[in-house]
Formats: sequence, structure tokens, C-alpha cells
Amino acid sequence: MVAVPKPRRGAITGKRWVFLVSLGLMAGLLFVPAGHSDYLNLTFRNILMYAAMSYGWNLIGGYTGYISFGNVAFFGIGAYCSAVLSKAGVDNLFADVGLALIVNALFAVAVGLPILRLRGHYFGIATLGVALGLTDLASNLDFLGGSGGASIKQIGEAHFTTYYYAMWAVTLACMIATFFIARSKLGYAFVAIRENEEAAQVLGISPTRYKVTAWAIGAMMGGAAGAVFGAANGFIDPPTAFAVDNNVFPIAMAILGGMGTASGPFIGALLLSGANELLQQHFLKLHALFFGGIIVLMILFLPRGLMYLVGLRGGMRRWLSDLAVFRV
Amino acid sequence: MNLSVENLSAAYGDTRVLWDVSLEIGEREIVALIGSNGAGKSTLLGAISGLVDIVGGEVRYGDVKLNELPPDRIVQSGVVQVPQGRRLFGSLSVRENLLMGAYLRRDKEVEADLERVLAMLPRLRERIGYLAGRLSGGEQQQVAIARALMARPKMLLIDEMSLGLAPVLVDSLLDILTQIHASGVAILMVEQDVQTALEFAERAYVLETGRITLTGPAHALLDDPNVKKAYLGV
Repeated sequence: MVAVPKPRRGAITGKRWVFLVSLGLMAGLLFVPAGHSDYLNLTFRNILMYAAMSYGWNLIGGYTGYISFGNVAFFGIGAYCSAVLSKAGVDNLFADVGLALIVNALFAVAVGLPILRLRGHYFGIATLGVALGLTDLASNLDFLGGSGGASIKQIGEAHFTTYYYAMWAVTLACMIATFFIARSKLGYAFVAIRENEEAAQVLGISPTRYKVTAWAIGAMMGGAAGAVFGAANGFIDPPTAFAVDNNVFPIAMAILGGMGTASGPFIGALLLSGANELLQQHFLKLHALFFGGIIVLMILFLPRGLMYLVGLRGGMRRWLSDLAVFRV
Repeated sequence: MNLSVENLSAAYGDTRVLWDVSLEIGEREIVALIGSNGAGKSTLLGAISGLVDIVGGEVRYGDVKLNELPPDRIVQSGVVQVPQGRRLFGSLSVRENLLMGAYLRRDKEVEADLERVLAMLPRLRERIGYLAGRLSGGEQQQVAIARALMARPKMLLIDEMSLGLAPVLVDSLLDILTQIHASGVAILMVEQDVQTALEFAERAYVLETGRITLTGPAHALLDDPNVKKAYLGV
């Protein structure tokens, strides 16, 4: 009997060593507060926040193949969870994140059941509608502070550091959860739906159940990041909670790093945030143009992200032959 | 156990596709379902697998009413489909594709079954680590059949296996089906390649615009002047 080769899981988590490098970088990021710089803390907390949101998007967009343009909704809901708790006199990060996880899971299931029946751009448009609808809703609900926003009581003196570590922990949890989900049967169901929904169905994998699961877990990730952001920011209003940047950056980061991989969102967040920071310093008025240019070039020449290059066998020729842009 | 379809009607919205279709496949039988484009062949398979809503009639497998079960329970009861166009998971390896076929199984014999399937399809053992999307058409069809076998079917529904494949490849796939059949699996094959289907099957049904118009032993249909005129072009 010839032995069956061990499973190659590269396709589902990305290269193992890249993930280990990412974990190493995460460990390195623990030392950012040692710099005693509020600027550094804030900058890297934002990078971690985008990474966590990108992981949330990656589960539904990258793994399950349903491109969402509304994941900022979960971030916003998470931020408002902190505001609501603070108003009720509860100022505790664990409570904030806990409430955000529960509310987002419930909201995602309720919204996901109808809109995950849609496919392709119809799904994308529906998710955009959800995000826009929530922005309007938050502006008109008095107990959320309406369009004037709501303040959230900050905890302690050394709050920059506390919130930094909280965001770090959320991001690490998203990263590790993604790695283990991707390798599990659950992750394979997501990928099966992305690769061929009809085939998954024929094999008895209920697309609805798994799509809603991917969407809800992703919602919890974005919500956790939102809850920490709300508490850290001390103030939340609809344009901040549902900012367009918070919608687009996580998607661009996942694409840059590699959709449907366990390291892609983190790598993408580091690089894209870094690029954005530099561009903003040197070309204040033009930085959005550069940023948009990077996204366009990525989609054209590296649609499967940097993780694709890492795993590429067959070199330049294989890369070029895979590119849709050269096919007429 | 017999698979029996009784007075089955199915529709997509207002468009009726199947009208009172009845057919029966016995244990260990090979049955062909032939008919032209748009006759409703794939819809019938979809209805059996629980993927197409039915408006009337019923599908029974032994004593179990399949039409009251969700698709996953139908697969678990042993009625498994090889869908048209192969429908592989292109960026997963051949091995991963095959294991996806066993997704619903919780028993400990999945690895042993994988070994058995690979023994039947040695070509796939050579290709085991390849991405399914990179294989040739014939190899992909082998993966699709093997993936269905990993679900431990007792009744295999195969939709347009020969589509787009060279005759020599079709012959080798039929050899594989012969082995599968010999291992105790009943086969319902849907084919546009009428000649091939009728030479391979024991019995056949002819489906025309959603109705069963003819049925009988396959060799008899092969000699039937109506079938010859309509499908064989002689």
C-alpha cells in the first residue's frame, strides 16, 4: 500500500512560516508602549484595529467568497456598544467587547439570513445598504446621542497603553481564530462555498448555514475592534463609527496581503498603514491618490495578494500567465 | 433498496419543467436517463438530491421519503450526485477535494475509503497534491466521481459524465463505473451521448420536454426506430 501524502494546507492558511513570522511581529508589537510615545501607541493601535477588521472581512470575503462592502457596520455597532455601556455606568473593556460580540453575532445572523441569499455584486450592494442604513439609524436614535454623538468615559491615567494592549489582544485573537478556523472542517466548508457553491450543496454542505456562520464570526471580529476603539477614542458619532475609510481599508489590506489566508490581513494592514502614514506625512493633499493607485495596481497585477507571491512556484512566467489583465 | 420517483412534478417559479415523472432504479442496477437539451434531465437529478423544489409527487429511497429531507440527509442516506460540469473546488488539492466528499461522515474509515478510491483510480494518486483546477478534463471528471464515492453512495447519480471529453477518456471512465457498480453501487446516469449510455446501461428512460415518453431494456431502446431517429441520427 502506497502511503497517501500528508495534506497540503498551504492553500487554506497561506504558508506556515509566514504565519509564524506574523506571530513574531505581533510579539514585537507588544513593545510599542515601551516607546512612551502617544503618537506611536495611537499609530500602531490603528494598524492593529485595521488588521482585526480585515480579519473580520477576510472570513466572509476571502474565505467564503462573498465580497462585502458593509463590514464597517459591525465596527460601528461595536463602538456604540461601548457608548451604551458607558452611559449605563459600566466602564469595563471586557464588558464592552463582550456586549459587542453578542450584539454583532445576533445582528449578523438576522441580517445575513436574507442578504446572504444574494450573490456577487447584488450581495455587495446589499451590504453597502446595511452600512449606510445603520449610519442613518445611529444619527436618528437619541439614546445613541443622535448625530451629535456620544462620549465614553476613559479609564485610568495610562489609558493609551491599556487600550493599545486591548486592541493587540483582539487582533491576536482574530489572527489565531482565523488560523484554526481555516484548518478546521468549518474553514473547508467556507472555502468549498467560495470555490463552487453548487458542488458544496451537492455534497450536503448547507451553503446558508456556513455563509451565515462565516459572516457572524467576521462580524464579531469587527465588533470587538469597534468596542475597543470606541472606549479608546472616548467619543463616537456616526461619521466616525461608520467611516468610509474603516470600510475600505480593511478590504484593501486583505487584498494586499492575500485574501483567504491567515496572515494576509495582518501583513496587508502593516504595509498599507505604513504606506498611508508615510504618504500622509509627505504628500498631505495627494496621499489618497497614491493610496487609490496602490489598490488599482494590486488588483491588476497581484489580485491574490502578496501571499500568492510567497507560494508561487514556476516564477515570473507562471505569474504572468495567471494575470487576467494580459488576457484579451 | 430501490429508488423510486413517483408522479414527480417540478418547476422553476411559474415554469413547469417536469410533469408526472415516474421511474425506478433497483438495487445494483445501471439505469440511463436520456433526452435532448432542456428535457429536464438535470432538474430530475436535482429534485432527487433535494436541490430543486418539487410541486408534486414523491421520491422514495427504500422506505425513506427523500423529498421530505434536506440535501445533507439525502447524501447521508446514500443517494449521491456527481454534478454536471464536474464542479470541483479548483484551488484545493485533489486530496482535499476527495475529503470534501466525506464532509458529512463522522466514522473513522474515511482514510481507508480514500485508499480504496485511489486504488481504483491510480491516476489520482499521482495527482493527489495537485490543485484540482490544474488537472485535465478527464482527470477532473475522475476527481468528481471519486469525490462522490467518498460519501459512500449506494446510489450514484451521474450527470453528463461524457460532456466535453474525448471518446477514449469516456471509455476509461465507463471502466471505472463498471468497477463502482461491481462494488455494489446502483447507478443512474444522465447522458446526451445516447449511444454510449444505452450500450452501458441495463435499462433506460427517455425524457422529452419534462415527460417520460419511453422506457425499456437499454438494448431494446438502442434498436427502437424512434430513438434512432430522434437521438442517434440514423
